[in-house]
This record gives sequence, C-alpha cells and structure tokens, in this order.
Amino acid sequence: MKHRSKAALADRLLSGQTAALARAITLVERGTPESIDLLRTLHPHFGHALSIGVTGPPGVGKSTLVNGLIHALRNAGHRVGVIAVDPSSPLSGGAILGDRVRMGEHDLDADVFIRSLASRGEQGGLSAAAGRVIDLMDAAGYGRVILETVGAGQSEVDVAELADARVVVCAPGLGDEVQAVKAGILEIADVLVVNKADLPLADATVRQLAAAVHLRSGAGADVPILKTNATGQEGVSALLKVIERCLSHLPRRPEDRARRRFRRLIAKTAATEAEHRVMNAERERLDPICDAVQRGELTLEQAAQACLDPDLP
Amino acid sequence: MSKPMQLPLPGFEQSRARWRQTFETQTVDAEPLRNRSGIELKPLYTPADWDSDRYMDDLGFPGEAPMTRGIYASMHRGRPWSQRQLIGLGTPEDYNRRLKRILASGANAVSLIPCNSVYRGFDADQVDPVLLGTCGAVVNTVDDMETCFAEVDLAALSTAMNDPLPFTLLAFVLAVAERRGIPWTQITGTSNQSDYISHFVANHMFFRLSLPGSRRVLLDHIKFCNERVPNWNPLSVVGQHMQQAGATPAEAMAFTLCSAIQYAEDCLEAGLEATRFLPRFTFFFDISMSFFEEIAKFRAGRRIWGRIVRERFGIRDSRAMRFKFHAQTSGVDLTRQQPLNNIARVANQATAGILGGLQSLHTDAYDEVLSVPTEAAARIAVNTQNILREEAGLGDVIDPLGGSYYVESLTSRMEQQIEALMDAIDAAGGMYQAVSSGMVQRMIGDSAFAFQDRVENGHQVVVGVNKYQREDGPGERSPLERPDPALMQRQLEKLHRFKAERNDAAVRTALDGLAETAAHDQGNLFEAVVNAAGAGVTHGEICACLRRELGDGQPLILP
Amino acid sequence: MLTDTPARVLVTKVGLDGHDRGSRIVAAYLRDAGMEVIYTSPWQQIPAVVNLALQEDVEVIGISSLATDHLLLPKLMDALGAAGLDHIRVVVGGIIPDEDERMLLDAGVSRVFHPGATREDIVEAFATLALEARSAAE
Repeated sequence: MKHRSKAALADRLLSGQTAALARAITLVERGTPESIDLLRTLHPHFGHALSIGVTGPPGVGKSTLVNGLIHALRNAGHRVGVIAVDPSSPLSGGAILGDRVRMGEHDLDADVFIRSLASRGEQGGLSAAAGRVIDLMDAAGYGRVILETVGAGQSEVDVAELADARVVVCAPGLGDEVQAVKAGILEIADVLVVNKADLPLADATVRQLAAAVHLRSGAGADVPILKTNATGQEGVSALLKVIERCLSHLPRRPEDRARRRFRRLIAKTAATEAEHRVMNAERERLDPICDAVQRGELTLEQAAQACLDPDLP
Repeated sequence: MSKPMQLPLPGFEQSRARWRQTFETQTVDAEPLRNRSGIELKPLYTPADWDSDRYMDDLGFPGEAPMTRGIYASMHRGRPWSQRQLIGLGTPEDYNRRLKRILASGANAVSLIPCNSVYRGFDADQVDPVLLGTCGAVVNTVDDMETCFAEVDLAALSTAMNDPLPFTLLAFVLAVAERRGIPWTQITGTSNQSDYISHFVANHMFFRLSLPGSRRVLLDHIKFCNERVPNWNPLSVVGQHMQQAGATPAEAMAFTLCSAIQYAEDCLEAGLEATRFLPRFTFFFDISMSFFEEIAKFRAGRRIWGRIVRERFGIRDSRAMRFKFHAQTSGVDLTRQQPLNNIARVANQATAGILGGLQSLHTDAYDEVLSVPTEAAARIAVNTQNILREEAGLGDVIDPLGGSYYVESLTSRMEQQIEALMDAIDAAGGMYQAVSSGMVQRMIGDSAFAFQDRVENGHQVVVGVNKYQREDGPGERSPLERPDPALMQRQLEKLHRFKAERNDAAVRTALDGLAETAAHDQGNLFEAVVNAAGAGVTHGEICACLRRELGDGQPLILP
Repeated sequence: MLTDTPARVLVTKVGLDGHDRGSRIVAAYLRDAGMEVIYTSPWQQIPAVVNLALQEDVEVIGISSLATDHLLLPKLMDALGAAGLDHIRVVVGGIIPDEDERMLLDAGVSRVFHPGATREDIVEAFATLALEARSAAE
C-alpha cells in the first residue's frame, strides 16, 4: 500500500501536479526513508535542469533580483523553480520565510514554482535537502532552478556550491565587499553583481570588487562584474546572458554534471566526517600526534594523515 | 542648552533630602518608571531639573523662535483649534448626508475618507462588492465628488483630502470648483496623505507608486498647488502611521521630521523657493495615551523644526518656521472590550494634543475600533472637543504647562532623543535612503514588538484587556453599520452609466496625455491628473495609468 | 509541544486593508515558538493564497483582517477545498465583529482571534492545528 502510494506520488510529480511536487519536497526535507525511495524512483528523470545560485549579504536586494531573473527566464521560455532559503533561529528553530514577498507577481504563473526553505541548522543538513529539492524540481520539468540564500554562514556557502552557476550580489556603500571576501563567498562566484546601481557609490563598489577579485585570483580568470537595478529591471537581461554563458561551459551530459556535483557533496560530507572523527578520537591516540606537531616533528598534513589512517600507530 | 542650575535657594537641599527620605519609606524600590520613548520618569521634578533662567533660550514667546510655546502669538485664545473630523462611508450621498450633519453640529473643517478600494487605486467595479464603502466613501469620478459636496459651499470649507498620490480626490474637487465657478484660490485644505515615505514605512491601505515615481508626483503636486491652488497645503508629513505601527513617540517625531527634511531638500533640488513651500508644509500626528509624553513630544517637535528651518535651511521668516499640525487620537490605544471606556481615553488623548498646541484635531469615536463610527458615537467625539474647549477652557491660556519643571525637563529629554534618532537617519543617508534599506521599518517593528511584550506581561496595563476585565454586556457594542448593499449596487450602476455617457475621445486624449507626461518626464504630472479628472477619467483609470508608467511600489516590510 | 519537523504556517492578508502590525507580531511569536512562517505582504488575491499554500505545503493559514476583509473568508475556504487543500487549518485574527464570528466558523475557519488574545493562546492554537493538519494530510 505504502509502496504504491509512493509510486503514485512520483507519477503525479512527473505529470506536473504542483501538490505532488510540494509534498515530495516536504518529505525530502524531513529526510524520511520513503523520501529516499522517492528519489530513487525519480532518478532517471534527473539531469535536465540547470541551477543558478544567488547569494549575498542581507539587504542587497537578492529577492528583487531573483524576481527579475524569473521574468527574464520566463521570457526566454523556461519553466522556473525557485528555492528561497532563510536562516532558522538558532534559539527556537523557527524561521521567518519572507523572500517570496518580492516575487509576488509570479504567484499565479503555473510555470513558476517557488518554495521557501529554512536552513534548519547546519552540519550539511541544508546542502543535502536543497540539492534534492533541485532534483525534484528537475524531475517535475523546471528547466532552470534558482537557489537563493543569505551569504552569512557556512551552510549557505555550501548551498551556493550546489548550483551550476553562482551569482554573488552586493550593494553599494554597505561596506560588504570586505566582509564578502572574509566570508569566502567571493571564492565561489561565477558572476558578481552590484545591485541598487542607482545609488551614488555603485561605480566605486564595482572598482573595489574588481580589486578584491584580482587579489584573489592574481592574473587568473576574470569574474564578470555587472551592475543591476533590480527594482527598475535594469541590467537583468544582461545578467541572464552572462549566467547562460557560464552554464554553457558546463559538461554537456547530465551524468557528468551530476558527478561533478556529487563529488563536491561527498567531499564536504567526508570533511565533516573526518572532523568528527578527529575531534572524538581517543586522547591516548591523539595526544602524542599533537605533541609531535608542537615539537615540529610532524607537519599538520602528516598529522592529518596519521589521524585518519587506521594503520598508522 | 543645559546650564547647571544655580542653587542659592535656601533650604532646598535639606528639604529635598527630607522629602526623599520620607518618599522612600512610602514606596517600594522597584524598576525605574519609563515612558513609551524609554525616558525615565522621576517621582518629582524641581528647579534642579529646569530653571526659569532658561526661559528666553528654551521657550521664548509664542509665535517666534524658538517656537516652543506655540506657532502663533494668540494660539487657541485667538482662534480655537479646528475640529477636523474624519468622515467617510458608503456612497457619495451617504457622505453628503453625514457631512451636513457634522457641519451643523459644530465641526468647521472636514476630511473626506475614501473607501479602501479607492486607497488601493481601484474603482468600485474592480473589487469584490462585499469590500465596498465599509470604511470610507466610494468616490471614483468628478460626478461622485459633486454629490459629496452637494449644497455645501466648497469655498467656505476647509477640507482635508485623504487620498495618497496621485491625489485624484483633490483633482475631482478642483474640477467641481471649476464647474461651480469657484476660483481655485478659494479652495482650502490639505492633502493629508501626501507623505509617500510614510506609506513605505508603515503599511496601512494606500497603494504606492515606485519610490522615484512617488517623488516626482509629489514634487509636481507641490509646484502646481503653490502656484494654482495657493491656499491649499499640498504636503502633510505624517507621523501617525508610524506611531500606529508601533514607533515610540520620540521615533515617530524623529522620522517625521526627517521625512520633512527629505521633502524640503527634494523641493530645493527641484528649484522651488523655500520661503514659498515651507509655509505650506503641515504635519499630522498621532496622540497616544501617554499624556505628558505627547505634550512634550509636540513642544520638542516645534522647537526642533524651528531650528531646522533657521539653521539647516537658513530661513529667518517665522512663517516658514511654523510647525503646523493636525492630530488624531490614537486608534490602537482603543479597545474592543468595554468600548465605552474609549470615550475617557479619547478625552485624555485630546487634552494632551490641545495642551501640546495642535492646530486641528480629530477625536475618534468610541466604536471606531470596529468600523466606521455610528452617528451617535461620532456626535460624542465632536462634543468631546466642545466640552474641552467650552467647559474645561483648555484653550483659554496659551501653553499652560510651560514652565512646569516636569514638562520642560521632559521636553528637553524628548528633544535629545529625537535629535539622536535624526542623527542616525542622517548617518544612513537621509530618510529616503534609510527607508529604502529597511532600517526605519526594522526599528519600528522592534518597538512594536517591545510594546506588545509589555502588554503581554502586564507592565503596560490596558484596562479591560489585561486588567479590570469583565464580560461585555449586551448593547455595549454599537450595532454594526454597513453600507446598504442596494445603495452600493446603485453606485456601481452609476459608475457604469458615467463611463457609458462620458466623452470617450476626451477621456482618451486626457489619459494619453497623462501617460505621455509620466513616460517622458516632461510637464507637470499633477496638472495632467487634474485635466484627466475634469475630462471624465475615473480614479482607477488614473491610478492604473501611473502604475504602468511609473511602476508599483514594492512592499518592504517584514517581521 | 514537540514535533519532528517544524510546523509550516502561512501568515497573510486578503482584501483591501494593509495594517500589518498585528500579523508581523504574530509571525514573530510563531517563529519564536519554533515554527517556519511564510510571510507575505497584504492584499493577496485568493487564487494567489491558494497557490502559495499549495507550493509551500503549509499546515495552517493565519489571516489578519480589518474592516470587512474577513467577509472574503468563505470564498477562500471554498477555493482551498477546490484545490484539494481541505487538510489545511485556517485561523483569522484582527477586528472581527461578534455578529460575523459564527459565519466564519461555519464556513470552516478553525479559530477566530480578537484583540487581547494572548501570545500563549495564539501559539498554542497554531501548534495544535498544525499537528491536526499534518495528520490529516497523511
């Protein structure tokens, strides 16, 4: 009975029923065993959607920019999925999910599906859920999925890493350029956007960002920096062009794209695992290694190898 | 401002110490008492808190700098405050009937409150009929406005129009005046909801054009009125919405003054003369239950505005320095439970406003919490003002609380707090910027939450709600007044007939002209609205056109 | 009241009124009680509310109402039913005349809150209704 109802849910999702996609997302967010089955059933239908990560500090106008991107993508004929992530309160575990306030004009468009997610804590929990939600939207036929996050914590950076094209948004004069560098967000950007370009300090901000980017990459690849005024829908089509250009550089085959993404995910999970293991290792095993590093007899890299390799003493 | 007081008063210190000692034996050492703006309230104020040596610097005389005691030399002694009651219900005929009764019962200035559908920029045929006319009058056309003021002399009345940009209601009034042969120089009143910044800060009903679009419409409105309707106040800077949304009195005053500065700077940038537009700046405030705090707030506001005009804008003309304001008793302080208590509340709020030196006052009806007030309740609201004026003699002496150690000390404290908040807004780049970034909305939200917390844990008593509760008896709640659906249906039919019978070509030309003016940033937008109104374009059509051309204002307020 | 995952609720306004001081405070209360609150601006059209509830798979819808906006609730309840969302519980708060309360409950609204309702009552109601909705959905 259960097996049949899961199959039914998968069928309804594939046939385009909004309620089925919504329910599937809920199950996958909860991470129930049935949701694993569901993903397995839907697996053959993954790999067509391309995802666009939009991240940046609060207050820069990400949601308004995403709203503009939805327009532009719809005009280009795509069905659009949007995942808007907001942080859960570390105290209560609850969250205010208000990003879609800025995307209200698409509430009645059958080809736009917007889902608000709370970060629900860390430890990679969000990465896993968001990635799977992208897959579900993929299977439901949304050709482009926008993933909007607040670039504030590590989990948000993780999420942005899931996306095929990564857009980092700043706004003039907020002093965030330096913050962004510190948070490592700039490391992952495929495109940098200075929104609220109508404000006086916009050009100065572009220059500061260019300098910061150059510092990081040296003489390396140029990350395009664009100006937008999302409330005025200015610069958004140009931004989409640049995004689509990034997307076109990805491996053609869905399997290759999936491999790329999963390799990253596995690496992240492995890192968390390793950290857990080292931090919880027995004192009598680890103390001598720490002492050896202190005395200069082992480098950190050697010490790490020693901790993780069960064969070494 | 703070000169340490000379204390040659013999015996003062000993008496104070003695009093302090006795006081402490009679009271429990609790948390310090604070008012809504967070200012600590001492149990007693003395010359140590304010010394009359400061009279000329801090107070002076009414009608001249520093303006603390009042903006006119004679204030209410010379001319009582205006009783400006807000009215609006149902159809234009309903409004006309109520208007005539209000005028007969003593009010000498009125407002027109339009239906929520009008506030949202719609005509009656664009919304669900069940929503029509419940909180204000449905006015969509010049003919509707004609009906609103049937047998009422527009030239003899001061009317506050309560619609936001693009001010179609005033446009309809001007069209009616033209029909009646009344020159526009005789039209007096105020555009009560012209403060578009306040509509971005606190959600009430009003639809919004984009921020830049709003800026343009308001400037054109001010220009047009200053030249063609010179006795009309095109700008009313509104602190009421913010205070109703939860801003403390100090915050509401600070944000309002910052908005006024923003508007003044916009006008100067557009090439307008400060001596021309500043005298026509008016303000609109809330009056909460915090009696002395409100009085101090208004006195501080007067002083600060005077200083802003003199020092920031360099104008010495005392007419430009006048902090003219209308005030309304606070609706959020009224309760649904035991509604008759609201009569006492309103009397208290009104008294504070009067002693604070307002120019015009709206007193809420006790049942205003539920919906549009019943006639009986509206009558009590008007009579409350009559009683305060005639029986209590509140207007007999100018600034009667001037010189009170408490009130002067509190006025200075409020002034300090208001100016600190204004500095924060300045640091954020001015009010327009601070609102764009959501900073002001967050501050207001925090204050609203803090106030609700105090109510929840009983620190702020609300009689009948968290203390002194009882079950309401029958008949304590006013019967619900809703517009007669049959009458609203007839109003809808009138609208259809109007549209069918008007000159389509004239309408087309006027609407195209409006769109052109908006799209090409040339010509006066409000003038185009006035032309459209006279040519038979409806309110909804005008709003839709401007929304298309100038963009919709985005909602900016999150919890 | 413990649940495995946070309750998902929608807080919104329909009709013409825009006063949102109350709904913002309620949204904050619910967040502080551990719920995920999808919050919208006022003036939502009924079809949009239904679509939102559908996409976000919410368990409770909280409507803040002033003036006569609450008279639209029966239409909202009908629209939710037509979209197969009968399991969602609907709560209304704000200024609702006594005369209309019965009508709302008959139309399927679960609770009507008046000014003066305590934070505890409101949070408790949403939590209970969310659990009900969750069982009804499964």
